[in-house]
Amino acid sequence: MTQSKQQKVYDYLEKKSQILFFVLSPGGSIIEANGFARSMTGCLVHKTTFAELVVDFSGSFVFQELVQNPRGPHLLNISLSSGVPQSFYFDFEPVGTQILAFGMQDLDEIKTMQHQVLSLNQELNNAARSLHKKNAQLLQLNKEKNQFLGMAAHDLRKPIGLILTYSEFLLDEAAHVLDAEQQGFLTTINTASMFMKKLVDDFLDVSAIEAGRFDLDLHPVDIAAMLAHSLKINHLQASKKGIALQVETGKFHHPVVMDASRIEQAITNLVSNAIEHSRPGDTVIVRWFVRNGSFVFSVIDKGPGIVPTEMQKLFTPFGKTGTKKTGGEKSTGLGMMITHKIIKAHNGDLLADSIPGQGTTITFKIPIKA
Amino acid sequence: MITDPLYRQYLHLLLQGNRNGCARIVQQLLDQNIDIKALYTELFQKSLYRVGELWESNQISVAREHLVTAITEGLLNLVYPRLFEKERATPKKVVISCAANEFHQIGGKMAADIFELNGWDSHFLGANTPVEHMLEYIQEEKPDLVGLSVTVYCNMPALKAGLEAIKSDFKDLDVFVGGQAFNWGGRNLVKQSGARYIPSLDVLDTIITE
Repeated sequence: MTQSKQQKVYDYLEKKSQILFFVLSPGGSIIEANGFARSMTGCLVHKTTFAELVVDFSGSFVFQELVQNPRGPHLLNISLSSGVPQSFYFDFEPVGTQILAFGMQDLDEIKTMQHQVLSLNQELNNAARSLHKKNAQLLQLNKEKNQFLGMAAHDLRKPIGLILTYSEFLLDEAAHVLDAEQQGFLTTINTASMFMKKLVDDFLDVSAIEAGRFDLDLHPVDIAAMLAHSLKINHLQASKKGIALQVETGKFHHPVVMDASRIEQAITNLVSNAIEHSRPGDTVIVRWFVRNGSFVFSVIDKGPGIVPTEMQKLFTPFGKTGTKKTGGEKSTGLGMMITHKIIKAHNGDLLADSIPGQGTTITFKIPIKA
Repeated sequence: MITDPLYRQYLHLLLQGNRNGCARIVQQLLDQNIDIKALYTELFQKSLYRVGELWESNQISVAREHLVTAITEGLLNLVYPRLFEKERATPKKVVISCAANEFHQIGGKMAADIFELNGWDSHFLGANTPVEHMLEYIQEEKPDLVGLSVTVYCNMPALKAGLEAIKSDFKDLDVFVGGQAFNWGGRNLVKQSGARYIPSLDVLDTIITE
């Protein structure tokens, strides 16, 4: 090779090639480095040693061993100025008292990695497409399920109502011609149909909630009168179980805009729950007041309480907590979820505070619109 | 909605490998309720074709072309919540696959999405699908239509093998093909096999609509 050719090769190596090229002293100091080596490693000629560029996790790198055994390639991890180490295959060539070091990356290895990363990316994107599609299908199926639930609940309401009405009628009117066992059967039919009616009503509510059709019928309401009306059933329920229902009435006589029947439903649900979780002889406190522009309603019981890990299940569908009802009362598992939705629909908040073994306080707060 | 300056800005970001910048543009267009077909043809397809030209004329590297494709494929995920939200009564079913050894899948995937946009139930099998796997899938899903995509011309023999296998096992099944490889030839091969060649997403959309 002529001298001019050699110069051109050297110039190429110095300025353009993507090979790490160093001229090293016998001790490993960098005497020269080409442009690629300088820009990639940030090394300083005459100041940096080759050993300083090597990422040596085990502390086993000894430059002198490379000098004694220069034939490569030696796989070395080089610390780059970007902060990410890269692997290079190094060959060391002694020339006089100096050592030439050439470091290259394995193109086959890079190509394989590139191919694998692209394939994985494709697989990931295909999986994402399938997931999006399945998700859309699940949403559609859920919508259909809710429609079915709504239709079934709606169609069941009438026959259940008939069973309930006629069993009540027979208990009232025909009790004198029935013996005790027959009256017991009728009472069971009546109780079971009442539970079925509650279940069907809850399903209808859930179906409406899930379909986004939970509309409110807003009117000005006298809170005290509304509460007196809604607590009537709860008073009866409490006295049957030997529980005192203590009502602490607030002083607010202005009409408040709300959906009275939905708020009554929420109140009945909350107070019923408190009674069902209380023992005979306990007192359930119902307290309401208006403060800072909000109607605040609380139910306080001395029941078994809810353990903290189960609190998050409280407002979810069928999210029954481990707490057992003291009278073995049946529950649809939907009441708290519906109550939560009613309060949220009024732009309010429903909060639960419970200490296991000491009782539970459930409070809702809704902004009042006069 | 996709103006020339916006397209140029997108292409510039795409070639820079700026995934987030591209995603911002696509998300803005989606927020403006852009027509999905327009997004596919006027932004994704147009930019991919341009990138292909740049590669063919040695203005960008293979690695950059792969990067652009990977970014575009990732951007399709932004579109999917809208693409799949459409209700389908009793949709027709299409299975779309890439020829064996064909590692470019984005064209086939976009074709599958155009079917989905038109109310079809599309099943996309992905890149480099072995013929036996594709035949098993067709047997299992019993689609109304099968599409095969091929991007690299040297994969034409694999496409031919795929077409022959489908015709042998499912004589009456309609098959269509498409892909950039047909810019270099191969349309006679398709004609002989009884399949139909679809040259672009626009033509595909028109045919489905008809």
